[in-house]
Amino acid sequence: MEFDPGLFIGLFARTFTFWWLILPAIFLGLVVGAIPGFSAANTIIILLPMTLAMDPETGLIFMVALYASSRMGAGIPAILVNIPGTAGAAATPLDGYPMTKQGRGQQALAISFVSSVFGGLLATVITLLAMPWLSQLAFYLHSVEMIVIMLFGISLIATIAARDTLKGLIAGFFGLMIGYIGADVVYETPRGTFGFLELYDKVPLIPALVGLFAVSEAFFVIEGESILSKRGREAMQKAGWAGTIEGVRIALSKWWHIIWTSMIGLVIGVVPGAGAAIASFVAYQQSRTFSKTPELYGTGHVEGLIAPESANNGVTSGTLVPLLVIGIPGGATAAIMLVVLQYHGVTMGPDLFMDNPELAYGPFAAMAVTYFMMIFTIAPLARYMSRITVVSTIYMSPIIISFTLVGAFVPRQYMFDMYLALVFGVIGYIARKTGYHTAAILIGVILGPLLETYFLRVLKMSEGDIMVIFSSALGNVMWVALVICLATPYMLQRWRDRKAAA
Amino acid sequence: MLDDYFDELDRRRFLMGSAAALGAGILAGTPASEAFGAKFPSRNIKVYVPTRHGGGASRNLEAFTSIWKNYLGVNFQASYYPGAAGRVGYEKYMGIAKPDCYELLFGNMGPEVLNWVVKKPTFDLNAYFYFGQMDRDPGQIFVSRKSKFKHIDEIVAEGKKRTIQIGVSRLAHPATLGALALGRHTGAKFNVIPLSGGKRTRAGVATGEMDCGALPSGGIARRGKNFRILAIFDDTNPIPDKIKNAVLVNKHFGMNLPPLVAGARAFGIKRAAVEKYPDRFKILIDTMNKVYGDPAYQKVLKKTKVPMALFTKSWSREGIDKYVKDITAIGEKYKDLLTGKS
Amino acid sequence: MTDHEEQENPERKSLGGDLVLPIGAFLFTLYYFYTIIDVPRIAQVSAFFVGTILIFLLILLAVRIGREVKAGTADLRLGRLGEPRSFIPKRLALFALTLGFIFFVEWLGFTLTVFAFLSLAMLLLSGGKKKGLAFSIAGILALGGYLLFIVAFNTRFPAGPFEQLMEWLF
Repeated sequence: MEFDPGLFIGLFARTFTFWWLILPAIFLGLVVGAIPGFSAANTIIILLPMTLAMDPETGLIFMVALYASSRMGAGIPAILVNIPGTAGAAATPLDGYPMTKQGRGQQALAISFVSSVFGGLLATVITLLAMPWLSQLAFYLHSVEMIVIMLFGISLIATIAARDTLKGLIAGFFGLMIGYIGADVVYETPRGTFGFLELYDKVPLIPALVGLFAVSEAFFVIEGESILSKRGREAMQKAGWAGTIEGVRIALSKWWHIIWTSMIGLVIGVVPGAGAAIASFVAYQQSRTFSKTPELYGTGHVEGLIAPESANNGVTSGTLVPLLVIGIPGGATAAIMLVVLQYHGVTMGPDLFMDNPELAYGPFAAMAVTYFMMIFTIAPLARYMSRITVVSTIYMSPIIISFTLVGAFVPRQYMFDMYLALVFGVIGYIARKTGYHTAAILIGVILGPLLETYFLRVLKMSEGDIMVIFSSALGNVMWVALVICLATPYMLQRWRDRKAAA
Repeated sequence: MLDDYFDELDRRRFLMGSAAALGAGILAGTPASEAFGAKFPSRNIKVYVPTRHGGGASRNLEAFTSIWKNYLGVNFQASYYPGAAGRVGYEKYMGIAKPDCYELLFGNMGPEVLNWVVKKPTFDLNAYFYFGQMDRDPGQIFVSRKSKFKHIDEIVAEGKKRTIQIGVSRLAHPATLGALALGRHTGAKFNVIPLSGGKRTRAGVATGEMDCGALPSGGIARRGKNFRILAIFDDTNPIPDKIKNAVLVNKHFGMNLPPLVAGARAFGIKRAAVEKYPDRFKILIDTMNKVYGDPAYQKVLKKTKVPMALFTKSWSREGIDKYVKDITAIGEKYKDLLTGKS
Repeated sequence: MTDHEEQENPERKSLGGDLVLPIGAFLFTLYYFYTIIDVPRIAQVSAFFVGTILIFLLILLAVRIGREVKAGTADLRLGRLGEPRSFIPKRLALFALTLGFIFFVEWLGFTLTVFAFLSLAMLLLSGGKKKGLAFSIAGILALGGYLLFIVAFNTRFPAGPFEQLMEWLF
């Protein structure tokens, strides 16, 4: 796994010759990423007969391009209509949607595109260079360490709840309880399922996401003419290219922010099973913790949009590391890539880098080239995409309801999931109307089961000894870091207050 | 349901029939040709699969039905009902499938009958039975290539000094039962940790969080560069060219476990359907048996990359019934460990 | 996120609406506890921990609201949850249409149900104005959705008369 510049330059040059394949994959990825329920993973499954017919290199480039652009696509509805296309984009509307409501939708899209592209690009390059070390991460981050990482993500609930801490915490813990619905991972005893078999495998994420964000939003906005404020609508109608240019400029000026939040994504992506949702929550939480203006988060703050977007794109290259190095896919899409490569008789593992360096490093080159091409193909579209926000709610609400309910149905193809989305829609609507944060509920629903899974696993391993969560040296360092992160905002605030008083 | 309506309706009748009649037919959902007493099968066969699309069951099902359909002259339509370790799919099939031999089940018998040991389903267990077993993949114990353990005896010896963490797909699984039985027999302290599926189990073993793992053999044997199989829960080593130096548990430790076959996919059908339409079931069986000997079927199987020796070349009702009985019996024996209730 | 705007009446806040979700959460937590009474300890521990904290938080909220009501600065009317009142019938009707959409899609199939839902919902929200526009948008989207979801992505959405007809024709 040594660094060989000649190999890389040749690889990039070669990958560029596949532009005819990458471009359609980018647009397809954008579309499937933007519709809740359609992910890169199931699109690749649908296109599997085609992918298998290609030679492994071509197939891989196609899949990687689709995967990377679907991540970016998921942010578009999250910003424009408050509906994250996937769980990985669940933190994006926190600041993206308020920007849209202020009429800065175009700017927000441009910021999201730039942070996605540069976050993704950077993570890819770092992955290429640091592969030997990164591949070791999965050997150190075991269940105990994952518990701490989950808690980093869950502590975002307290962050979001800043305006009314009590209500925010109630929303978050209610979400966690909902996330605990289903059979436990050890003995498979059903809990809190209301007798529905469809809930044995936990609350399905897409229906919860669609309900809490989309359906509730659709019922909420019918009071107004469009989702924009009056001022926002006026700003929108005047908009030319200025929003895009301004967005690109703002995002580039926050280059440091893009760098370190994408690194969070990369590290979390390397751990099998962690994924984009947890990465974007952790990045958002960290971004706010170390911000000088934490009170602005949630009101349309640029850093609050950059953090989750560059982090969830940092994850994309991270998930490929365990796949290529130990043959263990980091996520659903990586798992399908594994199937395709195996179909062609390619064996994963350390030998791949020796026997077949083009295939081992190829996905990263493809990813870098994809991100590069997205700068020129997608960013100019922000202006036109953002127009959707001026569409009257008379048309918008019914469209959102019908198409996102379809999305709720797609992953498991159960009618039950559409009813479930409606139930979550009602919960989300009540929450919005009475000042409980829907994002806090969603964080609970997403992270609750993950936290419990790791927690029960270590309990089973230690045969019930709860102190096992402090049994690893690395884990203990992370516990200390967690405490510091949670305490920092308060310390900083006190320090500032004292400085202001002096 | 209505899915197959147009398949059977020939075009001329459609054009001649009035729109009203068409509407009524669709709403009533009665397949037209059935009323005319046409030959079986006259429309597509629906298969309920209690796992996700893309897994081992769907791979095997697609391989088998791609040939079987040629003998029956109709297509197979698979519907996937994953959830609760297969429980959802079985409940759906037993709940909504019509007993007319047009609706079948396709699952992995071993892990799925163990569900019923842990918690009884809502339907009568005698109301369905399995037929047409496709594969026979025994459970085994494996370690990472980087592991210090090179022989199962070393794990057992270590297990007498400290707890050995064994990653498993889930508790109610034949491979898990094998690991538990081995621990109980040798006095080694084996702690099985369910990691929700083969993929995550392999990850747990590969990253060193688990000392070893217990899974079906096929997926591990294919990844010989990363993993080493140490012990097999069967009377023979099914793929000696891929699994080298592994012991047969019964022989090596003087135990007498039934073969703990962990991958045993087969079709299932409602008993009522067979009793009502024995002639239809006979057609299913006769055509199915031709598939096993068809060279085209062997070709399709080769494409799956699963070692060919793991696929069965024939099956018998007695064999399947015995297997189900054996797995259920050993499940009952370890019920306390599977349910966490002593 | 949608902002929770300040209450319009500066003197008395209506906090009854704020209790709807907590009451639901409370009942759900009790129900959840009931379902885990008899399960292995390992399947209880995490949920008991989170559930107990939730109940503690709910009690804090009840105390907070109780105090405000006692002090006369708030009452227990539904407040913003029921406002603006003029939209209640429209919202309930939209809810009923959504429920109908899910219910009928099993028989009518994707395309027809989407078309019916979109046109009815748009007519409802616009108060019956611009009928032509509503029907054309609904038609285009239903057909577009059919092509995208069912033809291109091969989603196994319930097939109804329209999908069957298309399959038969092509």
